[in-house]
Amino acid sequence: MRSTIPLVLTFLVGIFMVGEYFIPHWRYHQWTAVLLEWGLILAAAAFLLGLFNLVQVNLPKVMNKEEDWGYKLVMLVSLVGTLVVGFMGNTDRLSDGQAYKWLFDFVFVPLNATMFALLAFYIASAAFRAFRARNLEATVLLVAAIIVMIARVPMGEDLPLIGEKLPQFMNWIMDVPNIAARRAIFIGAALGAVATGLRVILGIERSHLGAD
Amino acid sequence: MKQLLSWMALLALLVALPASAATVTVEVPPDNDGLNLNVVWDEATDPLGWAVLRADGASGEDWTVLKMLPGNARKLSDKVTTNVWEHPPQDTYRYQVVAMRSLVLVDEMEEADRTAAVLAAGTASAIATGSPSAAWIRTGIGAKQYGPLVMLLIILAVGVMMWKFANDVRAGKPVFIRRIPGIDAIEEGIGRATEMGQPILYVPGIDELQDIQTIASMLILGQVAEKVAEYQADIIVSCCIPMVREVADEVVKAGFYQAGFPDAYNPRNTRFISSEQFAFCAGTNGIIYREKPATNIYLGRFFAESLILAETGFVNKSIQIAGTAEATQLPFFIAACDYTLIGEELFAVGAYMSRDPRLVSSLKASDWVKLFVVISLLLGTVLTTLGFPIVNNLFAISGG
Repeated sequence: MRSTIPLVLTFLVGIFMVGEYFIPHWRYHQWTAVLLEWGLILAAAAFLLGLFNLVQVNLPKVMNKEEDWGYKLVMLVSLVGTLVVGFMGNTDRLSDGQAYKWLFDFVFVPLNATMFALLAFYIASAAFRAFRARNLEATVLLVAAIIVMIARVPMGEDLPLIGEKLPQFMNWIMDVPNIAARRAIFIGAALGAVATGLRVILGIERSHLGAD
Repeated sequence: MKQLLSWMALLALLVALPASAATVTVEVPPDNDGLNLNVVWDEATDPLGWAVLRADGASGEDWTVLKMLPGNARKLSDKVTTNVWEHPPQDTYRYQVVAMRSLVLVDEMEEADRTAAVLAAGTASAIATGSPSAAWIRTGIGAKQYGPLVMLLIILAVGVMMWKFANDVRAGKPVFIRRIPGIDAIEEGIGRATEMGQPILYVPGIDELQDIQTIASMLILGQVAEKVAEYQADIIVSCCIPMVREVADEVVKAGFYQAGFPDAYNPRNTRFISSEQFAFCAGTNGIIYREKPATNIYLGRFFAESLILAETGFVNKSIQIAGTAEATQLPFFIAACDYTLIGEELFAVGAYMSRDPRLVSSLKASDWVKLFVVISLLLGTVLTTLGFPIVNNLFAISGG
């Protein structure tokens, strides 16, 4: 019974939502919109569970002074601090001069930018490994990458003999082999998604239903 | 002042009196949802501007100005209501198209005054009526773009083939599934983690639960958790979305129960980190640095964080298996991970690992549709090149 009811619900709701694409009638969309709204409410409620989980995982480590407990303490203090400051400002909290806006502008945004900036270094180290010409495929990758990289920078066009042709060749690489491979991936993935969706809706896949 | 100028630009004084719109027709768009009507009119010369008015009901006289349009416009797509709960659509609507011949400043006016001013300053057409009748099935036949119908047929065909192939497999007919090293490596990675006494890290992407890649990842997580439980290892699931964490928690619990080791399940190992992309990335990197998982599995939908996670795992010397259908992130995973599942392989993991006849049947059904798509692509290329876009129309999807 514990798995039958979710299976029936999955089937009914799944078929109903698939119908949204094929049935244009406004009365149908009126009800699919309601279901989507319920989904949003559930997702919002799940944030509360996420908050409990953060505390449940991190607080005992701080209390028991486990390894790296200081990081957990910083996280918990930030969590509570942001929550309190967020409630304090009411609807004005995103206005200039408000504490919540200050936290966003001068703590959150720089931290986010720092993490994103790290990507440049990670790309360099990953590219170094990926572009080693170990075999034929890696060599083709290396050559294609060099052409695209040189053609994308201003000095590429100034190179003698090949400078004029380089951007055209780069465009061909990007528009023909690159797009062809991407479309193949998209088509395969879309068919895989259809099959996965049907498996879930028809109740063939059940591992997501949890323990009996 | 700006508003005044904008209205003046639209409704500037006409030198010559224009005729009203010669013919006004109200059309129902193909595959209509019952909320849209197209008002189309004809006139040889362009007036300065047009005003389209609408009244609700078959005999409604309560006209409202829908939109002011430039003189070269000949069509207006009208959405009759935006809130079907409070204002459900009427059976019939009446339209008038007014050819403007003098300046009207309607911006600050009440609705009734605005209508009167527009009618006084222009020449109104005859009244045309239309019913926004709704279609119950979207076929694309009206627009001669049969994509929705073909899509429906493909989904039904996949369903029928899954049923047929599942019966075949049950009857003992062998099904060939090509070897996918990335999936084989998952079990090897779990074994390695067990030998090293270190956990396995599982990241189900950063998208919402309703994304099909996240759903596929949850299905795979169940089987991975079962294997982890059999090997008596630990699994840490790092989640970016609270809802995903809740489902992942249930899935991992189910895996441990099914393997017969419910006591080994630790709910604190399924963690919500943060719903912010880079905060989640930093938190997961922290897990990789501090808890040193022997195997990292990234399956789901990833964006810019993919390489940061995978490179951190590489530095940590973990075995890394990634899989995504996000084409822009695949190169990063291929560069930084030991094994990468590309696109459709992500959706094949469940069937490959379990070899359940019903799941295997879905792979075979997908392959047959893939063959159909390949043939259609070749045929479409040849026919379109020869000037017969039949296959193009077959797969085209109109915007409406």
